[in-house]
Amino acid sequence: MLGLVVVFVLCVAAALAPWLVPYDPAAQLDLASGQYLDPSVAHPFGTDFYSRDLFSRVLYGARISLTVAFLSVLLSVTIGTAVGLIAGLAGGAVDMVLMRLVDAALAVPRLLLLIVVLALWEGIGLWGLILILGLTSWIDASRIVRGEILSLKTRDFVTAARATGIGARRLAWSHLLPNLAAPIIVTATLGIGQIILTEAALSYLGIGVKPPMPSWGSMIAEGQQALSNAPWVATFPGLAIVVTVVAFSLLGDGLRDALDPRSR
Amino acid sequence: MNPLLKVRDLRTTFTTGESVAHAVDGVSFDLYPGETLGFVGESGCGKTVMALSILRLIEAPGEIVAGSVIEYDGANLLGLPPRELRRIRGGEIAMIFQEPTTSLNPVLTVGSQIAETLRAHNEVSRNEARHRAVGLLDLVGIPDPDKRVDQYPHQLSGGMQQRVMIAMALSCEPKILIADEPTTALDVTIQAQILELLATLQHQLGMAMIFITHDLGVVAGIADRIAVMYGGHIVEEAATTSLFRRAAHPYTEALLKAAPRIDARTDRLSVIPGAVPPATDWPVGCRFHTRCPHAWEHCSGAVPDLLPLPPEHRARCWLVVEPHRRRT
Repeated sequence: MLGLVVVFVLCVAAALAPWLVPYDPAAQLDLASGQYLDPSVAHPFGTDFYSRDLFSRVLYGARISLTVAFLSVLLSVTIGTAVGLIAGLAGGAVDMVLMRLVDAALAVPRLLLLIVVLALWEGIGLWGLILILGLTSWIDASRIVRGEILSLKTRDFVTAARATGIGARRLAWSHLLPNLAAPIIVTATLGIGQIILTEAALSYLGIGVKPPMPSWGSMIAEGQQALSNAPWVATFPGLAIVVTVVAFSLLGDGLRDALDPRSR
Repeated sequence: MNPLLKVRDLRTTFTTGESVAHAVDGVSFDLYPGETLGFVGESGCGKTVMALSILRLIEAPGEIVAGSVIEYDGANLLGLPPRELRRIRGGEIAMIFQEPTTSLNPVLTVGSQIAETLRAHNEVSRNEARHRAVGLLDLVGIPDPDKRVDQYPHQLSGGMQQRVMIAMALSCEPKILIADEPTTALDVTIQAQILELLATLQHQLGMAMIFITHDLGVVAGIADRIAVMYGGHIVEEAATTSLFRRAAHPYTEALLKAAPRIDARTDRLSVIPGAVPPATDWPVGCRFHTRCPHAWEHCSGAVPDLLPLPPEHRARCWLVVEPHRRRT
């Protein structure tokens, strides 16, 4: 429940950020006197090195982090579901090959791969980042979907549906996919938290979301230099990451309990 | 009259590791238009596997052995390409299952499941399919079909769910309906209603029916002919009255004796000693000889064919040729 509320508030805040923020997140208020202002009524989270309002930047950062996470997860869950569905349904050699490929992909450290790709491919942009994140995170979804398909395949209603003469594609689309909705939604929700962490890590290293676009990861990196005299610059984006990731994890667990009575 | 369905030497095996289970082991029979052929036998006799084999619904590690023939409309179903097979499934030969509760997809409305079958075999619009689904629910005696069509399986009782399964099976007016223990999971009053419904619809639509059950009382009421299965074989085959009047195979006799009767008081029902041996390890010779009260050396040596007992009664038992061996 708490997870749902926090996620809802975050999403609304991110969506309405342009109307909610007190200042333009890129605007430098007063370079001389506005640098590293303490949190106050005028600047709830204080200001940073470039005298930009941190509250506005954190809010815009939510917008970007959530957009990246949602779209990457959409991509990864789509790919994962397709791969899992094909492997589970086809069985035999197709299943063997696909799952060994998945095992092989699992052996590659993901963060390292991302760092290499993003470091080599400069000027990749936000869309490129979403694409790369999506393409490297579908493994879990594919394994979960394949497992579900294998267990669904033995259920009576699948035999009954085959006995009515519907084709394999219709069977997958209208009988199996609706039964997968619950595990897919749970995987996606938990996946969002994961992607936000990964994106923050990459942005912190300066190869994810690039400045001047506000991102929680890069904001922490910027705040790091001032940790002793202006700790809030790194603290607030950090808190934002923690709260968001915990909220999505709670929501995912809650959904799992609600949708799948077996896991309780 | 030509048979509608001709099954010859049907063999279905399941291979797990080293062991091979011969679940159905050389079943042959004919099904004529409009008739009901009952299959009886204990659990593990191969009834359900046989039914699934007819529609080629056997999944790995199960396999229908090459050389088996299931001939429908002049074509061997076992050699059909997938497209043709799908046309047969549900369109020409439909099937209903033992457990209506698990045989319906829990996350789809019953209407959409019926519509799915209709759309698999006919060029009909979504609206038209829904409309026909309502008509079918009405046909199988579901009250308020307009409302029920949009409900999910869990909102219906077991009897209603089985009616939905029947509606789905009959949606494309098949020539053959395979009913695999359709009333086993239902309580007795509902069972009677479903049997009556099946009999009525069969007459209306002129279908042939393969009716599988372990309940002799049920099969006596609905079948024209009965095949008794044991150990993956048909051990006796006869017209219903003939089978009940002069059962020839000791297994059939034992089944009849084990069934409770309403017109004769008994304190204890007689039982058949032992259990069906595993399909991986059928006894050599007659498969029933390990449990048979009349068995002699010959029985553990050779399996008899289905020996004729005129008129049109056949039993797979050496007693047919050596009746004096029967112990009293």
